[in-house]
Amino acid sequence: MAEQTAPSDPSGFDIEWLLEQARTYLAFGEQLQPLNERFYETLDHRDGDWGEALRQHFDQLKAALAEAADDPGGHPDLARLWTVILDTWRQTAASLGAPATLAPLAGAKTEHWRTYQKVQGQYLDLLRQAAKEALDLMEQRLGERAIAGTAVESLRELYNLWVECNEETYGRMLRSPDYGVLNGRLLNALLSCHAQGDTPT
Amino acid sequence: MIGPTPAQIAEELRHFQARLAEGAHTLRSLSPIETGVLPRDPVYQEDKLVLYRYRPRVTEPHPIPLLIVYALVNRPYMMDLQEDRSLIRGLLDAGLDVYLIDWGYPDAGDRHLRLADYVLRYIAHCVDHLRERHDQDSINLLGVCQGGALSLCFTALHPAKVRNLVTMVTPVDFHTPDNVLTHLIRHVDVDLLVDTLGNLPGQLLNFTFLSLSPFRLAGQKYVDLVDILDDAQALRNFLRMEKWIFDSPDQAGEAFRQFAKDFFQQNKLIKGEVVIGEQRVDLRNVVMPVLNVYATQDHLVPPAASKALAEYCGSRDYSELSFEGGHIGIYVSGRAQREVPPALAAWLLER
Repeated sequence: MAEQTAPSDPSGFDIEWLLEQARTYLAFGEQLQPLNERFYETLDHRDGDWGEALRQHFDQLKAALAEAADDPGGHPDLARLWTVILDTWRQTAASLGAPATLAPLAGAKTEHWRTYQKVQGQYLDLLRQAAKEALDLMEQRLGERAIAGTAVESLRELYNLWVECNEETYGRMLRSPDYGVLNGRLLNALLSCHAQGDTPT
Repeated sequence: MIGPTPAQIAEELRHFQARLAEGAHTLRSLSPIETGVLPRDPVYQEDKLVLYRYRPRVTEPHPIPLLIVYALVNRPYMMDLQEDRSLIRGLLDAGLDVYLIDWGYPDAGDRHLRLADYVLRYIAHCVDHLRERHDQDSINLLGVCQGGALSLCFTALHPAKVRNLVTMVTPVDFHTPDNVLTHLIRHVDVDLLVDTLGNLPGQLLNFTFLSLSPFRLAGQKYVDLVDILDDAQALRNFLRMEKWIFDSPDQAGEAFRQFAKDFFQQNKLIKGEVVIGEQRVDLRNVVMPVLNVYATQDHLVPPAASKALAEYCGSRDYSELSFEGGHIGIYVSGRAQREVPPALAAWLLER
């Protein structure tokens, strides 16, 4: 009576998804590696001014992620660090029969599609803001750990801290009244496009 | 220290890549994943519904059968996921005679199914079948999550047919402040959704659940997976759970419309305003013994949403069982196997 599925079954596990997330983790590590190098150099030059070195380090990290956020195509693996839910949303939207790319507004054909693109842009802004706040929080947490004399031992530990901070800031955003309204508007706008048979260019 | 040195990071990345390459090969070579392990037999069918009886594991099972009403969302094999993670196995071992409704996968032909079809036709027919089969006036009912809400509706409308009611991680008050699902659906135009799509696609539900914790559920979980890629047993357990998570049936359109609007958006269940068929559901009619099981860290059905039943049901024999865990852990964690089925069985056998 057992129910079975092969690993390639659509209702089962998608190996490609695992590989994508692994690439994202690798991108995270590769991004941190040169920054860490500079962090240690800064620390040497400033006679161990840890706080200043950390600030510089995070400024660089934020700049790198902001760049990836503004132009996801430039470094897709890095951008996926914070657009994972948007990617999932786009796949979901596509499965509903409505293409959901961030096409330029000028290319849109109808009012419904323009509305959807606008709402999706607002959704992206909320995600971007939460991601930036997560980096601020991570910087703060690392500072607290330094004061407490607790070292971060590994890249994985840094990654886990990054996830924890993102979950915290994202969770706050998710529970906010603004997000509840926007989440409804996003789906309603997509459905309006679908109902009207609109297609993007 | 901000963290590892650049050389340490490089070494970690090399190690991660090596494990991934090796593990991806292992993944591709795995045989199909099985779920739902206990032997069972279909005893009743109607449309896509199949009522299963699990083969008893004692010589003389308890004469009052237990019917499990699972949610319409996701598949019921969560109750019998694998050999050592099976709530049903625990119930059978305690001497109960266990039946379970498998709702199947609704398709376009089912878009007009209403909650009345689920409650007054499907559940009612299963209950009547078991009453007749076991020569009993009433049977024991165990409703799970949304299935618990449907069980409450059925029980309130047909209290004489339910001897004891167990609700597990069941939402009753949908407007507690910590209810994130209500928060997300509150501004959705449900009529537009159902009128446009017919049935609610399972993938949309998957997105909703992932969106509650995306960095963990869609990212970190898979990075952590690399750690167990060389452990075939752990890998199979992971894949089994993964299969269940993404095995989301579409939801019949009209039933979803009513559930989303009446339960989530308007919280009518506790107001006594839900109408099934042409009958109003009054929770005060739930007068038989009730055991309400909730999970303290449930992020989908907050404990307060479940515990509201104490205030609204009419039972004078109302008990709660609190499980230290989450919405899924209550079925599949090792501690759940040790704690939950024996407690449910003991409560039922006393009554």
